[in-house]
Amino acid sequence: MNDVFLPDIAWLADVCDETPDTRTFRLRFRDSKKGEDFHFLPGQFLELSVFGYGEAPFCIASSPTRPEALETTVRRTGQLTNALHKLGEGDEVGVRGPFGNGFNVEAAYGKDLLFVAGGIGLPPLRSLIWNVLDERSRFGKVTILYGARTPTDLVYKQELNEWRKRSDMETHVTVDAAQPGWSGTVGVVPLLFKKVIVHPESTLAYVCGPPIMIRIAIQDLLALGFREEAIISTLERMMQCGIGKCNHCAIGHRYVCRDGPVFNYGQIRELVE
Amino acid sequence: MAFAIEKRAVTKWLEKLLEAGEVVAPVRTPCGDVLFSTVRSAEQVVWDFPNPLHPPKEFVLPQTDPIVKIRRNGQHHEVEAVHDGTRRFLFNARSCDARGIAFLTRMHEMEPADASYLRRSGNLTVINLACVTPCPLGFCICTDSGPFLSDSYDAQLTDLGKSYLVEVGSAKGEAAVAEAPSLFRKATEDEVSRRKNLEVAARNHFGEETCHFASAMRRISTGRVPDALWEKMGDWCLECGGCNLVCPTCYCFSVKDLDRDGTWIRCRLRDSCQYAAFTLEASGHNPRAQRKDRMKRRFFHKVSAQYYTRDGAVGCVGCGRCIKVCLGTTDMPAVVAAIRKGKWHE
Repeated sequence: MNDVFLPDIAWLADVCDETPDTRTFRLRFRDSKKGEDFHFLPGQFLELSVFGYGEAPFCIASSPTRPEALETTVRRTGQLTNALHKLGEGDEVGVRGPFGNGFNVEAAYGKDLLFVAGGIGLPPLRSLIWNVLDERSRFGKVTILYGARTPTDLVYKQELNEWRKRSDMETHVTVDAAQPGWSGTVGVVPLLFKKVIVHPESTLAYVCGPPIMIRIAIQDLLALGFREEAIISTLERMMQCGIGKCNHCAIGHRYVCRDGPVFNYGQIRELVE
Repeated sequence: MAFAIEKRAVTKWLEKLLEAGEVVAPVRTPCGDVLFSTVRSAEQVVWDFPNPLHPPKEFVLPQTDPIVKIRRNGQHHEVEAVHDGTRRFLFNARSCDARGIAFLTRMHEMEPADASYLRRSGNLTVINLACVTPCPLGFCICTDSGPFLSDSYDAQLTDLGKSYLVEVGSAKGEAAVAEAPSLFRKATEDEVSRRKNLEVAARNHFGEETCHFASAMRRISTGRVPDALWEKMGDWCLECGGCNLVCPTCYCFSVKDLDRDGTWIRCRLRDSCQYAAFTLEASGHNPRAQRKDRMKRRFFHKVSAQYYTRDGAVGCVGCGRCIKVCLGTTDMPAVVAAIRKGKWHE
């Protein structure tokens, strides 16, 4: 029987600013054997401990195809994340996981993929995006639609530029409010649907972002002719334990931490609060 | 297997149990309250008592439950799981509470099994005192958790006047008897039949208006409780969380690191699904911001067929503690009755 709450120790191998309040942390297990044995799927999450504060769930933002760089992207928004942001390279944190079902990558083989993300909703999709790009030939058309409040709030700015330049994918970025120097699109993410041609019957749509954006994006996708099962999202809940025990993330008799966090829209509609 | 022990010999048995481990039992405080506590002597154990307000779940799932010790050493940290392997005897628990602990144990055995809890429950011997006279607020008869039990105990005592009948329900119960084998004799047929009669008499003590779960379960499970009714009941809830804290089957928790002289102890702390912050996310989004939604959550978890199928029981042992603590009257029987009748009592 395992001590299910005992974290492994990891240290921060790299800390990188994404926006004024969001950082990406690269984790390395202190016990390298643990690092080698750590396997995960895109869409799964970790319980990250900041010692002295407790632990909280964060999605894995890096791809399993790049196991050497386990990353998570965190916005500073409460006690624990404030404390995490004060840590620097070499500092230690605790890690439990990976938890949750994750995205079914094999089910996406041969399909066109449409990623729709808002704000801090890009990190969980980034894990899948890099997985797809690292196995590019297995998938059809890849399209990314991403938006944030302002150009400063866009995460992974360098990667967005890289993706925009690639010829084997299409990337559109928008902001709600422009700042000086911004020459791109202004408006909410769903407006970007007008810029792309999608074939709903052969496409899987991955949606993640603030609740209001998810709602509107799903409505638009349904209107475009997407089946409910082809619209896939990853839900956020206050997941304290990650193993279906603490009940914080329960919706009806389903647990976001175990049955999710990845659900298709058909499943989401069946969840009764 | 049923034994009998003379009442005057029970003190000796308790003394043997005190030598073998920790004994937890209802005791009377100097102020007159009765509560479950670790005892130092057999005389402290009370035999005629109202069931304490706080259930003995404290001894398997403490309110502040240390789970991981975190030591700082400069920039480095060492973590270690906290193990509580104390052998404990829970003596004179009531049937409902024995059933409550059995419920919690089933929950924590579900994969992934929770070693921290199971280490405690594995070392706990539950000896319940069957309720010959049901307590005024109890409705254990509706939840199949009393007044007498047919399982969920290690040993069950029944007061037969001059002696106690001791039914052994597990190897742990056998071991508890084996601590003082000379004090016990095989129960006679007459004693066993008197226990049966006492059970029938106790069952007849319950009134008509107890807690009828079946139709409430049907409605909760199929989402047929009107939103307006949840809202009305939510209006009466004071969000104190008392119902959860005294419930023998509630186990929701949060995790915090507490500083103990330079060492952090990561603790599991009891939490309540009735608190607004229970589902509050760091982003500020709260999927159950309204009281009616939290009220619905509590009763869905306890009474729905979905959870009944998973847990093998309703999440209620009929102890009546929520009736006692709830100032807003949104206790189990009141809510179940309101759902069954389709209206709140006002």
